[in-house]
Amino acid sequence: MRTITLKGRPIVSGHAKGPALVSVKPISFLGGVDPNSGIITEKNHDLQGKNIAKTILCFPNGHGSTVGSYVLYSLAKKGIGPKAIVNQSADPVIVVGAIIADIPMMDQVDIRQIETDDEVEIDSEKGVVKIRKK
Amino acid sequence: MYLTPEEERILNGERGWAYEVSMRILVRLGDLFNATRLIPIKSVHISGVSYKTIGDAPIDFLEALVKSAGKVKVSSTANPSGFDPDYLAKRFPKEYQSKQKRVIDLYKKMGIDAILTCTPYYLQQPKQNSHLAWAESSAVVYANSVLKSWTNREGAPSALAAALIGKTPNCGVHLAKNRQPSIVVKVKTNLRNKAEFGALGIYVGKMLKDEIPVFEGLVNYADDDLKQLGAGLASSGMTSMFYYEKPTAQNKIEAISIERRDIKNAMETLSTAKDVPDLVFIGCPHCSLKEIGEVARALKGKKVKTETELWVCTSRHVKNMAKRHVDIIEKAGGHVLCDTCAVVTWIKNLGFDTLMTNSAKTAYYAPTLNGVDTILASLKKCINAACLSN
Repeated sequence: MRTITLKGRPIVSGHAKGPALVSVKPISFLGGVDPNSGIITEKNHDLQGKNIAKTILCFPNGHGSTVGSYVLYSLAKKGIGPKAIVNQSADPVIVVGAIIADIPMMDQVDIRQIETDDEVEIDSEKGVVKIRKK
Repeated sequence: MYLTPEEERILNGERGWAYEVSMRILVRLGDLFNATRLIPIKSVHISGVSYKTIGDAPIDFLEALVKSAGKVKVSSTANPSGFDPDYLAKRFPKEYQSKQKRVIDLYKKMGIDAILTCTPYYLQQPKQNSHLAWAESSAVVYANSVLKSWTNREGAPSALAAALIGKTPNCGVHLAKNRQPSIVVKVKTNLRNKAEFGALGIYVGKMLKDEIPVFEGLVNYADDDLKQLGAGLASSGMTSMFYYEKPTAQNKIEAISIERRDIKNAMETLSTAKDVPDLVFIGCPHCSLKEIGEVARALKGKKVKTETELWVCTSRHVKNMAKRHVDIIEKAGGHVLCDTCAVVTWIKNLGFDTLMTNSAKTAYYAPTLNGVDTILASLKKCINAACLSN
């Protein structure tokens, strides 16, 4: 099994390990994710129908309403939030969401090297992402 | 980022979770946007109120803040809700009414003034050069550009965090160096009405993204015209401010020209329908006292058709000052609504299909946010379409 290590900028510190769910498109948490299940509902989204619960969620950046931060909080409180967030470039909606929900987060990571279901371990204290390719 | 000993204590949780999480938001955003410290603010305006727009999303977080005894430290107002308590509330299911009330009650418990308007500056006008933390992009642009106070475009949670702490990071347009215009927009045609000012805003905002434009060639404009221009800019772009009088020190910067045909195209693009409207909506952003007077004058001797509704949306505060105009509008068959607007309520559920407005911002958002067709036109045309021809 091949392992690669990527570096990034720590945003919210913490450790997490889990399967990657990788999105090509940005994610809008208000209107794009069902707050009761964690399923991505946005039409024509590459992850439409996929559940973000307990994944290491990798996506380029957030977009849409700033109320989206609150959706991340609700998901985490229900235990169906992502275990960690890895972004290409962090934007305030996701940063604030990760802070209030206490979800480890990093950005400036080359997420194109990560594929869905890769086993990912993130240490957002040191800013390191370890990927074990599936 | 430098923090005072007291700010450190808040960050370490010594004042409770509500203040700790608020401080974490401000410090992290400040770090990301190269702030060096927190600065005190005079007021906060919060978005994320209408149950139609936000659904249940914020309720868990707001409840946690209230439970942890979070209270605002500065004068704080909030955006419009999903309906007014008098005319629209009873037309929606009980569930919507109780959910909306719950959201508003949580904000109130934190000490936020539930005046529910997108134009808080008519209630209390911020002073020139005062620092604010406002969400609601149209109010942000108006505050920076027309009132000459200083605020970034806050999101719903960052504005709330600023309210609880009473401070905001000194980044973005809180710094004079970031308030310089970066592009000249030469307007080579006379704008005839507020709809055209708004259409100019939408057109330019789309091109400029987050640049700060200086408009040249605007003539005979009132603050209400600039309000429409700013609301348009903020809707299609990410700018926080614009200039309409040449700033004194100005480096040579790029310029673009706006011709009559650009305004015509923008107006046409913002109208998705040509047929008769079933809802005519004035008051995005919420009407000023002067604008309510203009609506009353335009309605003189007219009667609103039974098959059309006319909504004039404003804040409670302005409505109370405009009693005489409100009487005229309501006698003619129109409705002056507070606490809400056509964009943040469920107009489709009320059976409306075609909305006519003089607000380019509404025309820009309503087809996607409300699922209705739009017609953008002058106030005069809007009123004529709402009324019986005599």
